[in-house]
Amino acid sequence: MQVGEKKTGFKKILEEGKEYYEIRLESIGGLGANLLGKMLGELGVKYLDVNSSNFSSYGSEKTGTPVKGFVRYCKKEKEIRLHSPIVEPDLLVVFHQALLKDEVVWKGCNEKTKIIIATDGERMEFPFFRGEIYGIDAQRIAMETHSRINVVMLGAVLKVIGVENPEVGEQICRDTLGKKYPASLQGNLEGMKRGYEEIRKLPLTDRNGSNMEESTKEDYKGRESDQLQWGYLTAPMGGINPRLGNTVISDLSPSRQGYIPLFIKERCINCGLCFSACPDMVFQFAKGKFKGKDMMINQGLDYYHCKGCLRCVDVCPVNALVRGVEAENERKEHFMPNQELLRLPKYYEKAGADGYITSESYLTEERMEGGEV
Amino acid sequence: MEKQVMEYASGNEMAAIAIKQIGYDLMGYYPITPSTQIAENLDIMRANGETDLVMVAAEGEHSAAGICYGASVAGGRVVNASSANGILYALEQFPVQAGTRYPMVMNVACRTVSGPLSIKGDHSDLMYLLNTGWCILFANTVQQVYDFNIIALKLSEAVRLPVVVAYDGFFTSHQKSRCYRFEEDKMVQDFIGKKQEPYPFLDLEHPITVGSYMNEPDIINNRYQLHLAMEEADKLLPKLFSDYGEISGRNYGKVEGIGCQDAENVLFLLGSSYDTSIDVIEEMRKEGKKAGAATLHVLRPFPVKELVTFLPKAKNILVADRQDSYGAGGGNLSLEVRAAMQKAGNSVKIKSLVYGLGGKDFFQEDVRDMLEWLEDDCKPDFAYYGITPGKVSETEDKPLFAPVTREKTMIGSTKVEMTEKGLKVSGGNLNSVTAMPGRIAPGHGACPGCGIPVNLNLLLRGIEDPVVFLFQTGCAMIVTTAYPKTSFRVPYLHNLFQNGAATLSGVAEICYRKQEKGEIPKGDILFVMVSGDGGLDIGMGSALGTALRGHRLLIFEYDNGGYMNTGYQLSYSTPLGARSSTSHVGSKQYGKTFFHKDMPRIMAATGIPYVATVAESNPTDFMKKAAKAAYYAKNVGTAYVKAISACPLNWNDKPATERKVIEAAVNCCYFPLYEVEQGVTRLSYDPEKTGKKIPVIDWLSMMGRTKHLQKEEYAEVVFRMQQEIDLRFAELKKRAE
Repeated sequence: MQVGEKKTGFKKILEEGKEYYEIRLESIGGLGANLLGKMLGELGVKYLDVNSSNFSSYGSEKTGTPVKGFVRYCKKEKEIRLHSPIVEPDLLVVFHQALLKDEVVWKGCNEKTKIIIATDGERMEFPFFRGEIYGIDAQRIAMETHSRINVVMLGAVLKVIGVENPEVGEQICRDTLGKKYPASLQGNLEGMKRGYEEIRKLPLTDRNGSNMEESTKEDYKGRESDQLQWGYLTAPMGGINPRLGNTVISDLSPSRQGYIPLFIKERCINCGLCFSACPDMVFQFAKGKFKGKDMMINQGLDYYHCKGCLRCVDVCPVNALVRGVEAENERKEHFMPNQELLRLPKYYEKAGADGYITSESYLTEERMEGGEV
Repeated sequence: MEKQVMEYASGNEMAAIAIKQIGYDLMGYYPITPSTQIAENLDIMRANGETDLVMVAAEGEHSAAGICYGASVAGGRVVNASSANGILYALEQFPVQAGTRYPMVMNVACRTVSGPLSIKGDHSDLMYLLNTGWCILFANTVQQVYDFNIIALKLSEAVRLPVVVAYDGFFTSHQKSRCYRFEEDKMVQDFIGKKQEPYPFLDLEHPITVGSYMNEPDIINNRYQLHLAMEEADKLLPKLFSDYGEISGRNYGKVEGIGCQDAENVLFLLGSSYDTSIDVIEEMRKEGKKAGAATLHVLRPFPVKELVTFLPKAKNILVADRQDSYGAGGGNLSLEVRAAMQKAGNSVKIKSLVYGLGGKDFFQEDVRDMLEWLEDDCKPDFAYYGITPGKVSETEDKPLFAPVTREKTMIGSTKVEMTEKGLKVSGGNLNSVTAMPGRIAPGHGACPGCGIPVNLNLLLRGIEDPVVFLFQTGCAMIVTTAYPKTSFRVPYLHNLFQNGAATLSGVAEICYRKQEKGEIPKGDILFVMVSGDGGLDIGMGSALGTALRGHRLLIFEYDNGGYMNTGYQLSYSTPLGARSSTSHVGSKQYGKTFFHKDMPRIMAATGIPYVATVAESNPTDFMKKAAKAAYYAKNVGTAYVKAISACPLNWNDKPATERKVIEAAVNCCYFPLYEVEQGVTRLSYDPEKTGKKIPVIDWLSMMGRTKHLQKEEYAEVVFRMQQEIDLRFAELKKRAE
């Protein structure tokens, strides 16, 4: 099926004298942002009668780490010769509200930027931002339609960029997903359509003014953490790193998928199986007494470093560790920061404990089909 | 012009399409980022029956180059793809290929050379190839990657020299854009023509000798022939470009530029950066500036003549190098441009900037900045562009942890004692070992549920002596040492994954020497090499060498059954039939086609004092074996311990239940637990005796990567797998009797 260009409506944006229309996707590995970028790119050249290119931020293959995607559109006649990341996006697509905690996620947005956020909220408290903001409850839709969050976001993007007919979205879903995941195509189509239909503009809670303008390109380009800035004058030679164990300052809670292990201390028999199964050194043991015997006693969990894999829940023989929904357990009983630290790192101050829930279908689907994550 | 169709694809994808269309006979390769996708894409086509290309996944780039060489000598059309240290590892093979005059094509997705290790793009790998006798084409765009792959083979076979098609790693290899390919494969094949073999190697009626032992006065003549072939390539290229232009409508030259006919100030860039500069230069010219930009599509043979005539009005040239020939005052591109201009008697002024190393992004603004630099007489002739001095942060330099000292780790939880009856080990209690401080800090970036930190933790809890680490490249290293952070609280060294054990041997020797001289305190130190992600494929030689020398160190292998750090390409430890990104499942392929390697047995054959297999499902056994291994590694010789290590991402199973999957691997005897101590084999756990033995399919069904084997059509694969496992287990039991 070839969808007529005139129906799509998107080209208008480029006719308004813009050289490029640029989209930046902000996500966490595993939510399918990379695939969404590919779909949006392919959509441009195939069905929107424009030229397009896309790429993702690159790194080693891993789930749970931040990922960026970049999509550029321009007129059909023009070659896209930019190979650099998108610094000032026309559209910023954020796969989870919690990502906004990190400045580099919204850096470069100005009053002309539109932002799409996957959120179930009705308002946005986003003091830095004056542009238009749109919300979509992508997780719920993904769960209800047995699709993935990325196709819901696809629908939302199409609506916001002015594509008048979501058929092109269906078409690109068929092209990209139909062959690889035939069984889930129907759900994905439904998810995409609902994304298109249910995206809504959110009222912004204005908190006296904005400092958005202060964010410049330089901030974005030189975006390495201020706290750890080593350069050619200050870095030890040869890439040597004498700051032993300083990964401990990383707050890994964004890696979680909405669930956390909850510790019910009364049940614990201090067997140490959780400790032996935890990849993230979360469990804090200290000398003490258990049933009158000198033993190492489980004090609790260091949630800064818990990635929510729930291995501990699986191995616990007495159900002292159970799966809890993160959002329902904001105050975590038995939260115990790493006990070996000499000083508390500054980073912890801004480290929240809010993770996010992806659709159940993500956990159960046959993801290996093509390995796209 | 021939009919073409549009594709929306990346450079690697277009390289794969070209390779498929050309109809090569063989690809010998070893996966390395960012070139790997070429093999991955071709493997998908193979699995679906779209190509009959023979694909050989070597155990390292050196072997891959050997496979390619042999195949080309035998008269096959041969292609390879590599990057960075892969190129360097295979380097000695490239002059062999060129010097004996066998054509082939290699795609190089350019990436920075280690160390420190980086996976991103610059040209430091490519420039090592300048002196190998290969022709080198450079593609700026995805389209050119496709086009040059076709031109390259024709050039290669015409002048009997191997040819590199280079392009920017990630910027060109991974970015997707609109491009075109010929509709029919035949159009490509007709352009290239039939392969001529002047001396068919496999013609048994007319035997030939390839690779003579040659000294003076013959070598210089042989090299001169090679030089003449380069000259021939230089002459032939314009015709090839124009012939290709006729069928494709895309016309290339050895040199490409914008505004160069009248530009006084010219910026010289290679690859995607040149592409980026085009729009800016056009803009500047509209502003009335006589600026220009130029690039080369051919680095070997270096197009001196074309370059000089291409820049008739140039007064100042800035050559921006994406690598440095350290100490030479510029990268290789600037050195060669300088030489070319000087040869032409040209008085043009040339400056050099080294930029974009390790994939540092190149923005349009950088084009203007660089040209300003060129015009500014106060700026030096040579500098680094885009460097930052850094800030001093005293807070950050205050330690977060106390060092992990001997006193703190000697908790007496796991004890090893040499008795008359042999080594006795006690302890391994999961509760008491929690008292030991962690040698590895939390905050590492492994995926949720990753088995690597779990296995390292169990290993280290069983070792109470001070530890010095060497990690080979792999997931464990990437997730723990992303600069400027490190998870290590004890001395740690990384080396590339063909050389870990040898490197650690050197560390150990100096430690012993320093201890003897009293320069550092005496006392046991345990040297631990950690490898996985196929590190004992490419690093096997080094590990075996170390074992044969008997160096006192512990080699620990976490076997996750694939190159997980680069997106799960098959390793020699991947189970038969498993799906990976280089062993896809399709109508013509069932996954990996050969059995998993029995590394413990190979290590045991070297006669080292201790070999053991461990699994997190048996944690006490794990820690006790770690303690034993430590004893032997301190006192006797090399010890080798191998753990099976879960990878939820690529095994495609649930992070939460990985311990059960590991347990199943043990219970189906895919991964039997045993030890070989001073030549005596002992089974640590016999699932047949405990009644827990399960068929291998039960384990395979737990993982997405092998689930497909449940289907009836793969029954034969499972049968062979079961047979192999039964055979290996029966043999093991016999040895253990």
